[in-house]
Amino acid sequence: MAEPIIMPKQGQSVESCIISKWHKKKGDQVSKGDILFSYETDKASFEEESPVDGILLDVFFEEGDDVPCLLNVCVIGQEGESTEEFNPNSGQEESAQQEDAVKEESKDADQSVPPAEVQTEQAVPAVSQAEGAVNRISPRAKNLAERLGVDIRYASPTGPYGRIIEQDVLALRDAGHMLTPAAAAAGGASGIAGTGLGGRVTTSDLQAPAAAAETISAPAVQSSAGWLVTDPGYEEVKVPNIRKVIAKAMHQSLATTAQLTLNTSFDATDLLNYRKKLKASMERLGLANITLNDMILFAVSRTLGNHKDLNAHFLNDTIRYFHHVNLGIAVDTDRGLMVPTLFGADTLSLNELSIRAKQLAEECKSGSINPDLLRNGSFTVTNLGTLDIESFTPVLNPPQTGILGVNNIVQRAREVNGEYEFYPAMGLSLTFDHRAIDGAPAARFLKELKTNLESFSVLLVR
Amino acid sequence: MPRSQFIDPAEVRKSGYIKFQDIPVNQYNKTIEEEKSNFSTEDFLRIYRDMAIIREFETMLNTIKTTGEYKGVKYNHPGPAHLSIGQEASAVGQAYILDKDDYIFGSHRSHGEILAKGLSAIEKLGDKELMEVMESYFDGAILRVVEGRQKDKSNVKELAVDFLIYGTLAEIFARETGFHKGLGGSMHAFFTPFGIYPNNAIVGGSADISVGAALYKKVNQQKGIVIANIGDASLGCGPVWEAICLATMDQFKKLWEEPYRGGLPLIFNFYNNLYGMGGQTYGETMGFEILARLGAGVNPEQMHAERVDGYNPLAVIDVMKRKKKILEEKQGPVLLDTLTYRFSGHSPSDASSYRTKEEVDLWMSIDAISAYRKQLVDAKVAADDKFEEILEATGELINKSYGLAIDDEISPRMNMIAKPDQIADLMFSNEKIEKMDDREPEVLMPKEENPRVVQISRKIRTATQDGKPVSANRVYSYRDAIFEAIMDKFYTDPTLIAYGEENRDWGGAFAVYRGLTEALPYNRLFNSPISEGAIVGSAVGYGMCGGRVIVELMYCDFLGRAGDEVFNQLSKWQAMSAGVLKMPVVVRVSVGSKYGAQHSQDWTSLCAHIPGLKVVFPATPYDAKGLMNSALAGTDPVIFFESQRLYGIGEEFQPEGVPEGYYEVEIGEPDIKKEGKDITILTVGATLYRALDAAKILEEKYGLSAEVIDARSIVPFNYDKVLESVQKTGRIVLASDACERGSHLNDIAQNISELAFDYLDAPPVVVGARNWITPAYELEDAFFPQPEWIIDAIHEKILPLKGHVSKNNFTPNEQLRNNRRGV
Repeated sequence: MAEPIIMPKQGQSVESCIISKWHKKKGDQVSKGDILFSYETDKASFEEESPVDGILLDVFFEEGDDVPCLLNVCVIGQEGESTEEFNPNSGQEESAQQEDAVKEESKDADQSVPPAEVQTEQAVPAVSQAEGAVNRISPRAKNLAERLGVDIRYASPTGPYGRIIEQDVLALRDAGHMLTPAAAAAGGASGIAGTGLGGRVTTSDLQAPAAAAETISAPAVQSSAGWLVTDPGYEEVKVPNIRKVIAKAMHQSLATTAQLTLNTSFDATDLLNYRKKLKASMERLGLANITLNDMILFAVSRTLGNHKDLNAHFLNDTIRYFHHVNLGIAVDTDRGLMVPTLFGADTLSLNELSIRAKQLAEECKSGSINPDLLRNGSFTVTNLGTLDIESFTPVLNPPQTGILGVNNIVQRAREVNGEYEFYPAMGLSLTFDHRAIDGAPAARFLKELKTNLESFSVLLVR
Repeated sequence: MPRSQFIDPAEVRKSGYIKFQDIPVNQYNKTIEEEKSNFSTEDFLRIYRDMAIIREFETMLNTIKTTGEYKGVKYNHPGPAHLSIGQEASAVGQAYILDKDDYIFGSHRSHGEILAKGLSAIEKLGDKELMEVMESYFDGAILRVVEGRQKDKSNVKELAVDFLIYGTLAEIFARETGFHKGLGGSMHAFFTPFGIYPNNAIVGGSADISVGAALYKKVNQQKGIVIANIGDASLGCGPVWEAICLATMDQFKKLWEEPYRGGLPLIFNFYNNLYGMGGQTYGETMGFEILARLGAGVNPEQMHAERVDGYNPLAVIDVMKRKKKILEEKQGPVLLDTLTYRFSGHSPSDASSYRTKEEVDLWMSIDAISAYRKQLVDAKVAADDKFEEILEATGELINKSYGLAIDDEISPRMNMIAKPDQIADLMFSNEKIEKMDDREPEVLMPKEENPRVVQISRKIRTATQDGKPVSANRVYSYRDAIFEAIMDKFYTDPTLIAYGEENRDWGGAFAVYRGLTEALPYNRLFNSPISEGAIVGSAVGYGMCGGRVIVELMYCDFLGRAGDEVFNQLSKWQAMSAGVLKMPVVVRVSVGSKYGAQHSQDWTSLCAHIPGLKVVFPATPYDAKGLMNSALAGTDPVIFFESQRLYGIGEEFQPEGVPEGYYEVEIGEPDIKKEGKDITILTVGATLYRALDAAKILEEKYGLSAEVIDARSIVPFNYDKVLESVQKTGRIVLASDACERGSHLNDIAQNISELAFDYLDAPPVVVGARNWITPAYELEDAFFPQPEWIIDAIHEKILPLKGHVSKNNFTPNEQLRNNRRGV
């Protein structure tokens, strides 16, 4: 009996996945456990193993296809077995059209949907932001948005099943998310400072930076004959989905918030000593391999409680303060940056926190992370210290209001009783959204964090 | 039961026997010699000619259908042709004594009857009258085709015969120059100026329609008799029996006053060719053996039933003379079993597998036309040459019309590209005619003295007075409003009659007619048998003859019993006649509640689905009176829905109350019952009041202002107000008591989706009754839409309401699940 392989549903909110690569082709002999194909959502990628031995009899989708979850992707069986009954596209124009529609929609989504994280944070019900899902908006709301020049990507849908309805567009208007129609057509984002009527972003606003760039880069004209090479000297590679998402998220972040970075450092002596002690008794106490980063995460989770403006989402007309700390942890993976969320970090012990953080990072790297764990962070920590970075400007993950960059440790001298002594100084770079919080309160957070880290053993006692 | 009749137990319990008289079977036995005193040579020969014309006409069609040509000229006729080759003598014999005031109604196999009746009428009409008919019919369009093509240009009868044959054939070939512009066709051809009324493609369909025509003759004291020409197999059809029951009601002879007293001038003539398609009524599918037997069971007169040999034209003429006399003596109706045989199959595709060649050959060997010819030759009425001359002339006659009728230049079809609305414009006549005749309406008392009218005059014409509700006994109610409109028309239009179950002494099952009995004689208001099919079918016949009629079916649920009459007859004849016939018929039905699954259904959607019906459902006294006035002033069939939830209510929306005088509410215009700005609720019928309750909840609990629109009419329907409202609110719920699946509201919702798509903030949502049986009254709240359902539907599908918790499941999953289960 031939066995169909379905597109697995990776998490509640996932409606469809893109097949990124076929590892086997039609007719190949496969064994149980062989990787059949890789697939990805906008946030993670996965591999599907063959559950049985047999021949890959038929393949219903190609690389790049966006396949609704639970649909049959391929069939494994024995020579001569029929596969047509499993073909989700079989004989029906309709399903082909549906598939096209899904493709079409996902294309649309790529073009117009704001970065998933942003949308998520605005409390869109899960179903509306899944890859390939319909972007629900009533015709009336859509028309009104066009007429008013409102940027519906910022709408908080209140209609049934996450549909944007008229009142949501009116709310946007009141919140000032305006865009002239031409600017909208040109793919403009309302995050750019608008110079048009009522603060609308106009096409000239969109062109301004580009024009500036041209001016700078225009080279002096020289005779260039003979310098031509036939080899184009580059190759073009399609941008993977996850890169597109990161690109949009990063640009969106810089384009729509008022972010700036504060830098400081702290004396890591206590931290390093404590880590040494832990390492020594790790096996005896059955503890995880607790890293410096884990300890910083711990300190952040305990400090944010006093600084609710930084454990928050800035939603234009409202600010959402979180009761617990859902700590986003930036993880560098082969596919790019991923930010899993450590929910309720403030309630975890250092050991628990360390275990979970590691597991999340592992799952991100292996691509097995549940997409639902890639959302809803309230503050993010990113660490480039291991790569010897002394200071940097982390980019906010909107609508979060803050992100902490962790730098490397350098020996720094300081004067103590007239003498200079060296101490290990670890750098911290806090980026915050000035729309949500002013410089002084942000600095006060850094100061308290610094105190906590310098007396880490005391913090643990609290 | 009328109070005037007393049922004496001693009488009805008496012992005894029912005695039957002998029913004559083929008793005619005169010779030509004996008949010479009744017929001149010309008469004898004309009978032959008429039969020959029919034979040649039908043979032409048969040849076209089977070989694709006639006399070497090719033609393809894809439509039907149910031929009567073999039955000519019966048709000609029947028509011989009839004139234009005698109406015949036919079946799918009636070409021969049309020609026979037409030829007979032409013979009897004067030249001037004939010219008037031909000149005035469609402004002489048919006459223009045939005139000037006669051998004797001054012979009007010759011209009229060409007119008749060509008009019939052009109709069969769907030509615009046909008798009904090609919209009737073979099975629905007719020509009323010659007394040829519609043939009918539904077996037995003409039976109850003919009863209505006979009623029209009687009630309006018109000359002539009516004949329902139907087949032997139609006796298996319920409506035929219903027609017989309605036509033989005792009251005609016992309760109706002079000059109306007495039986209907009607013959149920069964052209008994012994087969219904292939089913043999003699020996297989029926049990009567001899059809005429059935008259014995119907009434003491045994319907004057008789079998006549339809193979002998003189025998048929003889029986027709005798039966017509019975009708003139008001002893009708009559049941005639005219025995005949068709050589041709049921239709050209019929291989006659159900009968042997021997049988057909035997009947052909005694072919009526040849036999009659031989008799005349033998009796020396004319030499054999004479008959050859007639046949030759007949061949030329038919060939001439054939040539004209297949010529696309001379006989074009309707140009639906140049004039795409031609058929659409014929679906309704849309006329306003105050009265269908000018004579004084016959009533029993001045209107103002009528006890009901007096009672109503004391009522308060609004639901509330000084802010307080008017008591049930004092309030001018919905039932008063309908009464007032009908009463008014009874005193205006002398042709108006009303009948149905319990229409007289009882005052209608829901007391709408209380007071009418005192005002009207039996010939204008009477109880009918429980024969819903015949009630509506006879109204169709009454209406198409030129009278206005209101029939009542009590519960809407009984519409099914009148399915063919409502869906195939009432709705179709105006357009199929190309506007020659009007249909001023109002069918009152009442949507019930409390009485369970077979007495509580809103079937507006079924009626709305059928083209050609106007469908209204007023929900207020003002609208009920205004719409009934419109229905009764018009010339189109109106299915008038009423609601048993509403009969007692007063007028809540017209601050001045329901006007005492005459006014009309235009059919097709919805009405805004409550203005609002956030959401629109469109209702049909009694659901209006629950929608208003929902609007109140929306306003008080959720701060939403609802606009409530009462559809009032379902067909036709002017969307302007609804679209305007939706453009304003962006949201709409549609609610009625009809079961949700297939509810016409889905149609309206779909149209709104298309016409106001860009204004919609949510899809239009239909809230209908469950797709179940209607349960007992105590459980009805779970079946019919309630105010809370409307709120829940809005919350789930249109606009989540803050703090609202749904009690009813309107989620997509439930919708899908219910559809999967078929509920």
